[in-house]
Amino acid sequence: MSAPLLRVDGVTKTFVGRAAVETLSFDVRPGEVFALLGPNGAGKTTTVRMLVGIIQPDAGRITFSVNGATAPTMPPELTGYLPEERGLYREISVQRTLVYFGMLRGMDRREAAARASEWLETMGLSDRSAERLDALSKGNQQRVQLIAAVLHRPRLAILDEPFTGLDPLSQEFFLELVRELKGAGTTIILSAHQMDLVERAADRVLLLNRGREILSGSVREMHERLDARPRLCLTLEADADDAVLEQDEDVQELRRDGDDAHVTLRARSSMPSFLARVMGRLPVRSIATESPRLHDVFVRAVREDDARAAAEAS
Amino acid sequence: MTHARQAWIVACWEFRRYFKWKDQIIGIAFFLGLSGFAWFAGWLGTRNDGNTVTIAVAGTRPAAGGRVAFVPAAATDSARVHALRAGAVNGMLVQQADGVWELLVEKEPTYRAELARLLSDELRRERLAGTGLTEADLARLLEPARIEVRFVDRQRGDRGLAEKVAAGTVIFIMTMAVFNSLAYLLTGITSEKQTRVTECVVSAISPQAWIDGKVLGIAGFTLVSVGNMVVGALVLAFAAQFVWDFPWPEGAVRAGVLITLLLFGVLGLLLWNSFFAAVAATISDPNTSTRTSLMMVPLIPVVMSLAVLRDPDALLSRFLAVFPLTSAPALPMRLVLSDPGLLEIGLAVLLLAGAIWLMRRLAGGIFEIGMLLYGKEPTLREMVRWARRVS
Repeated sequence: MSAPLLRVDGVTKTFVGRAAVETLSFDVRPGEVFALLGPNGAGKTTTVRMLVGIIQPDAGRITFSVNGATAPTMPPELTGYLPEERGLYREISVQRTLVYFGMLRGMDRREAAARASEWLETMGLSDRSAERLDALSKGNQQRVQLIAAVLHRPRLAILDEPFTGLDPLSQEFFLELVRELKGAGTTIILSAHQMDLVERAADRVLLLNRGREILSGSVREMHERLDARPRLCLTLEADADDAVLEQDEDVQELRRDGDDAHVTLRARSSMPSFLARVMGRLPVRSIATESPRLHDVFVRAVREDDARAAAEAS
Repeated sequence: MTHARQAWIVACWEFRRYFKWKDQIIGIAFFLGLSGFAWFAGWLGTRNDGNTVTIAVAGTRPAAGGRVAFVPAAATDSARVHALRAGAVNGMLVQQADGVWELLVEKEPTYRAELARLLSDELRRERLAGTGLTEADLARLLEPARIEVRFVDRQRGDRGLAEKVAAGTVIFIMTMAVFNSLAYLLTGITSEKQTRVTECVVSAISPQAWIDGKVLGIAGFTLVSVGNMVVGALVLAFAAQFVWDFPWPEGAVRAGVLITLLLFGVLGLLLWNSFFAAVAATISDPNTSTRTSLMMVPLIPVVMSLAVLRDPDALLSRFLAVFPLTSAPALPMRLVLSDPGLLEIGLAVLLLAGAIWLMRRLAGGIFEIGMLLYGKEPTLREMVRWARRVS
């Protein structure tokens, strides 16, 4: 396993006596997509702002390892940042804006102009390059904002809520872009709460609640740690009677959705034994194993954490 | 990337953000048009359109002059009023006592000053006749004492007026430039906060580089804009010399004086731009903020520096000329009215440069936090605390 590009070690940030982030530790490896998840106010944006160097932690350390050297900040020319609070110069043309942000990230004017043209072509905006930014739709403005963040081919891209405010097609487009950036070797830190999208893009996730880590690991690991019970989806022939399932001693939960029967077995149940039992007694068209969705993991983990905090407080 | 390179990129961006040749040309054309209109209005106002003012006089008639003519008044009061109402005369003049006249009119006598001058002349002639003095005797009696100033350095005497005009012009132009910069810094920075550009920029460069670039870029923009207006004014004055016999100012300004004037003007602009940038960074909405009143602060040193005009060598004047917050307007005044010497000029430049460095650092501290603070405006105490972090 390669050495981490970023190491966050016991970081705490307090605003007006309230801890926005509390003793947070994690690391991010080169080339991976790492997602910071959490409800509103969980501390995602504060964490991101500390990573970018806009605000400083009150305690703990943030260390970046680049080319064998370590530093508390990542060089700006190697970092791309899409802030949650988006905004560019509305009265200035798209092309000029992109060239400016490219130059601020260390590119020379000609290189930035050429790269901006390429990206605008990729984004389907090449015919709008001379227009003022405020002449573009909100979705297109977000595309321009994303270009500004990655124009200089950063080694680390930090994208804070990149999917917010986008229609489903644009979300898919952004998702594809994240994959392309990853393919090009860019390490990506995503902060988001669109679980379905994160699930499809992230290698590892870290779930925050009230400024603290409550869960972290790969998506698969998180599912397993939260709920290891075997799950199945049996698609039954029409008008099949599911009484067999209801009466089976290994079935803990059963939910019907048309012809689909979603079955959750007890923790120590054997799936092969269960299947051998029911297959001869039910007309089954297809069988699929199921994992709990990241959304479910997220909701459940946050609720448990909130309940624990409430119990401690009382 | 170095701090200087970052600041330079921002400076170029800020300059190009506002500088548009089209706007400059429109501005100069508007200025020339306005000047032409002012000249035309003045010409119309002084043009004699041939209308005469007829005043009826009961008794001895004074000598006529200008557009005022005197005619004998009718014998009866009713006839006089009738003549006034019919418009045959503009006024009826009746002497009440020695040196006192009553003017009976239908409407406001706009020719009153002209009439008073004619009556005064008449009165003076009458009184002189009684004393046996001539007009020449009287003129000699009233002639004030005259002082002819001769400078040890003859060139200074030749150039004095031109240099005073130059100093006044530079101070006026720089005050214009300061307030012009203020407007662009205020709208530029508050709009950046409102459109949330801030985080994109401060994640790439330091807030100090950002504010340095802004101060330089907008100072450059306002200097070029004001410079264009000055060029426009010079073109107008040059043209007026031939077309309308407008007198071209004579005399010359020493190169050293001109350079010193410009140096202090530019340094003063940089000092106040840093101050404005810091204040603007703490304003969330310029339409509702009370903090915009701080923008009038640069007027204080200009007003204080007027003390130099009264006595350029007084202790206060010498202090104002080297004190960094007032030296930009005060030293140029002392330079043309007195002789501050190289040491004083050098000290003033050093102190002003030091003040700019300190102001940009303090402003950078306020700017760094102010730009990321939305909604709530910081108190003055908080601003001082932020500024002290960098010291």
